[in-house]
Amino acid sequence: MNSQHTRWSAAVTLTGWLATLCALAMSSMVGAANTSTADHSKFKELQQTFQSGPDVTKACLTCHTEAASQIHKTKHWTWEFLNPENNQRLGKKNVMNNFCISISQNYAFCTSCHTGYGWKDKNFDFSSENNVDCLVCHDRTGNYRKLPGLAGHPAYKEMEFPPGSGKIIKPVDLAKVAQKVGKTSRDTCGACHFNGGGGDGVKHGDMDSSLASPEKELDVHMDSVGLDFTCSTCHKTSSHDVPGSRYTPTAMDKEQAHIRGKADNSNPATCQSCHGNQPHPVNLAKLDNHGNKLNEHTRKIACQTCHIPSFARGGVATKMSWDWSTAGKMGPDGKPMTKKDEKGHVIYDSRKGDFVMGENVVPEYFWFNGKVKYTLLGDKVSKSDIATPINRIDGSPTDGKSMIWPMKVMRGTQPFDPVNHTLVMPHTAGNDDIGYWKNYEWEKAIADGMKNMGAPFSGKVDFIKTEMYWPITHMVAPKEDALDCVSCHSNDSRLKNVQGIYMPGRSDNNKMLDMAGWTLALLTLLGVIIHGAGRIYMSNRKG
Amino acid sequence: MRTKLSIVVALAILGSTAYTTAQAYDGDWKRGRIYYRQVCTSCHVAKTEKAISPTTKTKAEWAAYLQADKHAKGKDSVKQYISQQYRASIKASNKAAEKFADVPDQELLEDIKAFVTKGAKDGDSPASCS
Repeated sequence: MNSQHTRWSAAVTLTGWLATLCALAMSSMVGAANTSTADHSKFKELQQTFQSGPDVTKACLTCHTEAASQIHKTKHWTWEFLNPENNQRLGKKNVMNNFCISISQNYAFCTSCHTGYGWKDKNFDFSSENNVDCLVCHDRTGNYRKLPGLAGHPAYKEMEFPPGSGKIIKPVDLAKVAQKVGKTSRDTCGACHFNGGGGDGVKHGDMDSSLASPEKELDVHMDSVGLDFTCSTCHKTSSHDVPGSRYTPTAMDKEQAHIRGKADNSNPATCQSCHGNQPHPVNLAKLDNHGNKLNEHTRKIACQTCHIPSFARGGVATKMSWDWSTAGKMGPDGKPMTKKDEKGHVIYDSRKGDFVMGENVVPEYFWFNGKVKYTLLGDKVSKSDIATPINRIDGSPTDGKSMIWPMKVMRGTQPFDPVNHTLVMPHTAGNDDIGYWKNYEWEKAIADGMKNMGAPFSGKVDFIKTEMYWPITHMVAPKEDALDCVSCHSNDSRLKNVQGIYMPGRSDNNKMLDMAGWTLALLTLLGVIIHGAGRIYMSNRKG
Repeated sequence: MRTKLSIVVALAILGSTAYTTAQAYDGDWKRGRIYYRQVCTSCHVAKTEKAISPTTKTKAEWAAYLQADKHAKGKDSVKQYISQQYRASIKASNKAAEKFADVPDQELLEDIKAFVTKGAKDGDSPASCS
């Protein structure tokens, strides 16, 4: 009896311990995925029902006391940037592009990508700390969406969106999002940067939603089951200020790779900041000089030129041209219409005009030294067959600062004032009786946008060809997919339009120089043959 | 002896409570997204040339589908394709299966559930399969 009881007791004890150990093991596994030192759901400040985004910010700032003032100093907040090279006042608040053109009088729509709440007109309070939006960058639920037209706010109540679509958007659970905040991710940065120009992949060409969870072939660094870089791995941020700029890009980085602990103020988002300037391995023991030859190329060729063979590679098309002059045509029923290509891409929209979309696009290549000059509101332009550069890139083979860079060139036809000879900022978005997308009257739309900027407008509208340059730097392919030699060193190669250099293999080279080179090579070969033959002959004579 | 029995019972209760806590695992939708796209979708595309987007079902339909655990109209189970055993069998050729080889089956199932629920037709962020 005692023996039976002892066995039963031991079995129960063992079962109890096993259950406990099993549970603890599972708990530890669950916890293992989370490396943060703070569980925000445990903070009392966040255990409440929030009525609005600014309410959440107020709670965040009770602990993160300096965060808002740091944000206030960044381009993400000011949308303004003074280019120290040429004193041009840039930033989204001031520049135009050849996509949706500008933010003037379109604030409530464009500012769905502002790191703030409430920027609905030019009177926005940039000094308000509570208007900083913490969640748009730190959301980890993936459910926080700032809707176009709400001036940077998400939906706080159930609403039809887009208006008239019949599609109902549910309000965001602010407490749930606030309690799950964490580091920025490809999803949070991508919420805006993948959707520049008004849609997925539209603007950049090398940034779209396919980078949210990419495979190695699309981006060797962001590969979600490999290195799994987030944007901030390269754009290493300090005091909320994200390095990397399209207004003053680093075209040539002569610095060596950054070393931990060593003060270095150079741009951390360049290839060289990790890989240095001699990145290709050299194996002289195997008489392999290939790496040396490639390293010689790094003096004049940007890494991106060889390592990003094409952009828009992830299955998302990018806009390659936009013709505003054809906007306004209605369908047979007299209502606005859209047309799609065989792949389902919209290629005509009554509100916007004609588009050309592109996937797997081979970049165009230019000498680029990092200097960019914008055509701003008020700058004189003239209509001709030559496109007006919205941003003029500078560079040459001889300035010692330029490299050959891959670019997306966005070509457009956009409205301008033929009397004042200036580009214009039309009011397009909005459900009002002025915006072009509702009323299809350019004069009215442009007059409103220009008045808001305090800029003159003659009342006349014409259309002008423009182009805009976008350096390609994301979607870095695995080394196996980098360009081979003949991609550039051949006739009709992808570098055929790059001037000012002697490139072996290209037919537009100086014929005399080519002939001299071939003659030298031939003479060398002849010399080797004659020398060899002479030694064989002498050797036979002695024998 | 009673004291010993009480301790055993207490430990068992503690164990089961902790187990329940562990069961309340909050699915990682990002990990679910990777597995869904790189294992589920890539296989579907290879074998049927057709991907199944999370938006093809509502949240309730996804919950019912995963609960029923019937894959390919009941020919086999969904869980089978999420199991560690399956991941081990394809990890040589599938990076996602390799990366998540040791994730407990139930956790990975919750991850995938979190992704398809979020990306469902009536989900918080309707998602495509690629």
